[in-house]
Amino acid sequence: MPRTTKVECPGCPPIRALTFDVLGLVKVVEARSKQGGVPKVVERWGDPDSSRCVLAASINDRKSDPLLAVARKSGVVEVLSPLTGDLRVSITNSCHPDLQPEDDTIVGLHIFKKQILESSYRSCTLLTCTTKGHASMGSVEVLKSPHDSISSDSPTTWNVCAAGNILCSKVDGNENYAIFGGKGVELNVWDLDTCTKIWNAKSPAKNSLGIFSPTWFTSATFLSNDDHRKVVAGTNNHQVRLYDISSQRRPVMSMDFRESPIKAVTEDLDGNTIYIGTGSGDLAAFDMRTGKLLGCFVGKCSGSIRSIARHPELPVLASCGLDSYLRFWDVTSRQLLSAVFLKQHLSNVVFDSNFNDEGPYSDYLTLSHGNVRTELASTAEDLPSNKARDEDDTLDEDMEESLPVKRKKASKECNPSKKLKPKKRSKKLEGKDFDAS
Amino acid sequence: MAGKRKKSDDGDEDGSKSSRKSFVVDGDDDNKQKKNGSKGQQVLPSTIKNKEKRSAVHAKLKQQKKLEKRKRAKTRDAAEKQALELGEEPPPKMIPRTIENTRELDETVCKPDDEELFAGNDADEFCSVLKHERNPKILITTCRFNSTRGPAFISELLTVIPNAHYFKRGTYDLKKIVEYGRTKDFTSLIVVHTNRREPDALLVIGLPDGPTAHFKLSKLVLRKDIKNHGNPTSHEPELVLSNFTTRLGHRIGRLIQSLFPQSPNFRGRRVVTFHNQRDFIFFRHHRYIFESKETKQIDSKGKKGKDTKEENGSQEKMVARLQVCVSLECGPRFTLKLISLQHGTFDTKSGEYEWVHKAEMDTSRRRFFL
Repeated sequence: MPRTTKVECPGCPPIRALTFDVLGLVKVVEARSKQGGVPKVVERWGDPDSSRCVLAASINDRKSDPLLAVARKSGVVEVLSPLTGDLRVSITNSCHPDLQPEDDTIVGLHIFKKQILESSYRSCTLLTCTTKGHASMGSVEVLKSPHDSISSDSPTTWNVCAAGNILCSKVDGNENYAIFGGKGVELNVWDLDTCTKIWNAKSPAKNSLGIFSPTWFTSATFLSNDDHRKVVAGTNNHQVRLYDISSQRRPVMSMDFRESPIKAVTEDLDGNTIYIGTGSGDLAAFDMRTGKLLGCFVGKCSGSIRSIARHPELPVLASCGLDSYLRFWDVTSRQLLSAVFLKQHLSNVVFDSNFNDEGPYSDYLTLSHGNVRTELASTAEDLPSNKARDEDDTLDEDMEESLPVKRKKASKECNPSKKLKPKKRSKKLEGKDFDAS
Repeated sequence: MAGKRKKSDDGDEDGSKSSRKSFVVDGDDDNKQKKNGSKGQQVLPSTIKNKEKRSAVHAKLKQQKKLEKRKRAKTRDAAEKQALELGEEPPPKMIPRTIENTRELDETVCKPDDEELFAGNDADEFCSVLKHERNPKILITTCRFNSTRGPAFISELLTVIPNAHYFKRGTYDLKKIVEYGRTKDFTSLIVVHTNRREPDALLVIGLPDGPTAHFKLSKLVLRKDIKNHGNPTSHEPELVLSNFTTRLGHRIGRLIQSLFPQSPNFRGRRVVTFHNQRDFIFFRHHRYIFESKETKQIDSKGKKGKDTKEENGSQEKMVARLQVCVSLECGPRFTLKLISLQHGTFDTKSGEYEWVHKAEMDTSRRRFFL
């Protein structure tokens, strides 16, 4: 008997996600527990225009005055409000006027969560990187109307690579370091304070047949939030590689996954799981401690996965790509929670973690820049601070737990530095504690 | 259930036929079954363990069903006839349930009032061809080894698609050919893949940066194997694309549309049909002509069913003037099935797919993607 009914997907927990597509539209998808957790498109910002195609996006989802940065194909970086979609600042990349924006598109964009410079609260710092390797970092004053925004100082620019195309860039959890990689560009790590290259990867040796595969990184990320030394990268020839900056320049581990290029890599909160998406629509989870495949996410995913996002609190994963579906997955059971059809090829997805299912958030939305808003923000801040503390505790525990594992690995990998390593780490930890205090 | 009935039967027997001790067991069983059949209480034949018995019961059930069905049809026909005689509206015809009309609900089906769809269309790769900005120019080539049916098929394709040019494959890489096509202003590239001297796959690549569609090609019948075939003229053909409903289907439709010139020459009375049914795309190539004929309407009605959709429309117009449209099949006849749609031009190693057929998608017969 053929099945005549559809398999119902279990609903999502209350989440809010923003997707970006090739027509430059920003769509807000919300799932509320009142509606049984079925995510729906609640808002659509912008008009369809292919020149405004979104290439990269980054969100700073702080409690008060969150910001969303979007890089368009036309070379414009826009800072929006993720709550209302209002344009706050629009910046044109004018550092290289001789280059057409179409030739030198932006591939990496990061909006900093911490305040780098001792500037006013309303400024935001952006890091952009183009395909040709022009990286620039600068801060912009965000004022109420888009017209009277001033970039506070001329952005610091530098060249990441001499040749080749940058395809991926990522900033680590503490926002001190950034990695860049691409076609013909080995992975390199930059210190953002001094704008210097601190590490450069080395291509792996020829294989047993003497065949050398050309460098082509398609995606990269830091393995854990508070450790910039471990980097995971996905390559075009379907390899997932783990680099340890502190040990060696060649990959510590590399795994093959299926046949199509890895297009998206995202880290989990626990600091050892990695989610990868491929060009033919396979989504899988890897444990980077052992290099083992934890499992695949199966759910009729038929198009290339362009972006994966992990919810910062809930165990939910979002993936989107060329099949125009935004899919929500359960991280632990790897089941599809639900899928939303968004009509266009999607390029990016981000979570807005401050979304609250019950009233306050929606009130928060409607109240514009008044006093009440700040009050609400402050009340909202009270609660999560506890939570944050809890999280810190768990993080510490995690670190303690992961320490022996790391040591083991280190001993496995490079014997000579066996004795040195734990010392170093302990020193670093002390340093961290010192910093924190 | 059976046990219970047996018990009650036994009880009956005990009551009435207690004297008849040596009764044939088989006969008794038969009686029981008859009783069940007449009452309509279902003893499922599959629950009977004896094979002979089971098949007998099953055959009986089947026969009964058949008779009932015939009876129903008869009463229906009678009602219709009566209604006709009385000049009333005949009862509405029932619509049979098919796989297509019980298709699984698909949210990707395009709606006519979807402005995002049109905006997306305006931004896609075929836009320049479909808006008459570029004339379609097609490059046809083959796989490395190619013989008998392959070249014959290509020569027929050349007659079907105007402004198509055949190039020998030689030993060129497909990527090199794509590059060449780009520099020479071709708008599409078709690669006919043959296996064991039989064309079995079609690769349609949009140039310069259009998508790559990989089709499985089957049921190829060449022109000379079609009975009473016609010979095509060199006029620009009309194009009929039917049933491309979903977003993906729409895209495939536009890909096919971009192969043909956008201004058909209606004098040529030549029509090329791509008909999608259950994800299979059927290709037909006809010539048609309107003939005035002294025929009764019923005759033309019978003919209408056979013809393709567009001709239907035109025919209905002509029926009033007692004219019929006669179509003549010419050119090849084949069936396509989409295997994958790749973003960008042909690239097996680093290509991104917009849609790939995967085994896990085939969990229902009622799910279609085009």
